[in-house]
Amino acid sequence: MSIIGSYIPVVIFLIVALAVPPVLMFIVYQLSPRSKAADKLTTYECGSVPIGDAKIQFNIEYYLYAIAFIIFDIEILFMYPWAMVYIGHGITEIAVVAMLLFFIVSVVIGDLYMWKKGAFKWVK
Amino acid sequence: MNIVDIVYNPWFSGIVGLILIGIVFVCAILAVWLERKFGADIQSRIGPNRVGGRYGILQGIADAIKLFTKEDLIPAKADRLLFVIAPIIVLGSGFMMIVAIPFGAIVIGDNVYPIAATQMDISIIYLEAVSALSVIGIFMAAYGSNNKYSMIAAFRNMARMIGYEVPLGVCILGVAVMAQSLDIVEIAKAQSPLWFVFLQPLGFVIFFIAILADMGRLPFDQNEAEEELVAGWGTEYSGLRWGLGLFGEYIHMVLGACIMVLLYLGGWNLPKFLTGIFVLGSLMPIFWFVGKVIVIVLIIIMLRWALPRFRIDQVVDLGWKVLFPLSVLNLIWAVALSLAFDMFFGA
Repeated sequence: MSIIGSYIPVVIFLIVALAVPPVLMFIVYQLSPRSKAADKLTTYECGSVPIGDAKIQFNIEYYLYAIAFIIFDIEILFMYPWAMVYIGHGITEIAVVAMLLFFIVSVVIGDLYMWKKGAFKWVK
Repeated sequence: MNIVDIVYNPWFSGIVGLILIGIVFVCAILAVWLERKFGADIQSRIGPNRVGGRYGILQGIADAIKLFTKEDLIPAKADRLLFVIAPIIVLGSGFMMIVAIPFGAIVIGDNVYPIAATQMDISIIYLEAVSALSVIGIFMAAYGSNNKYSMIAAFRNMARMIGYEVPLGVCILGVAVMAQSLDIVEIAKAQSPLWFVFLQPLGFVIFFIAILADMGRLPFDQNEAEEELVAGWGTEYSGLRWGLGLFGEYIHMVLGACIMVLLYLGGWNLPKFLTGIFVLGSLMPIFWFVGKVIVIVLIIIMLRWALPRFRIDQVVDLGWKVLFPLSVLNLIWAVALSLAFDMFFGA
């Protein structure tokens, strides 16, 4: 299969994935009953009258985790191409190990640094 | 043009591959039934026992029909667009995963024909990417439904994904290093004599924990903790809209088990003297693969009824302070092992 060809099924599946739920909901509209009670549209809050809005600002305790995630995730993604070429492409073992160490050390030092600085602490 | 060319024509395999969606859907319905029946057995209850004979095996179908006759409610305060799109994304992420996963293979002689809608050269990265999409869907559902419980659940869900996507990626990297490929079919083929679980036991344990967290199964289902958050992100959802999201999650569970079998538990590989048997031998790898997937799904379901739930900060800490360093260790181990293989057995 060519590279472009291998993504044709993805497009077909994507179209189906986008088309199936609306079709199912259409069937539901044909089959389901309607009631006119107004209370059915209120937000659920254990049966009492809802207080305020849910879209308020509150402390996200893991903000620094999230920043760390972005850095590490991209760093890990950079290692995938490396993992494919390090054997059998004329690269010597020393170069392989040096490249691995460069990535690993930067990841581990980053992790330890954030840990020591208290980034991985659930802020109460 | 012979038959193999026709079957592997992308248009043909893409359209015929849609059957796989149906099969996985049935598997997800069966997984719901299995979860209820098995959970009932573990807790000395009876569980579903009316629809479809003594064991209630058609309960899932009855539930699906019931969902079709429920009124579709969108709360007055909800953001209608987000509310409607969110389940489509959760379900769609499952559908997009089905494309790239080979559900077994037909082995004829030395040729292996994987049963997959497509075979990409980077399918494992693709799978990681589309499976992470469901988190966005869940967040949209929570933000759109404008409910406090849903919002807390979605934030927890984000925290969990952040903590476990990185160890998961590093574990997959360890597997890719050993198989020298990012194609999940090649990775499965590379385990022909020896499963990767024996070469990287540490990696398997980390991967298992991380994928449990990724699927949101207990002990990592803080986003649906019913004792504290009602129904988590789906609190405002009802009827079939809720059903779509639920099926999306169960599809994720089944597919997660498939990926685990393909990456670590040897996929469909069987010894040659078994696949050499006429016709039956060619089909045996499928049953072998499906059998392993069923065992993994049973283990995942059993864990739900056996383990208590962690607190969310404990979960995130486990991801960053234990699993991530250990997964880097596993990566070094995998590289060292494959370099040694290359030195002793390579060209």
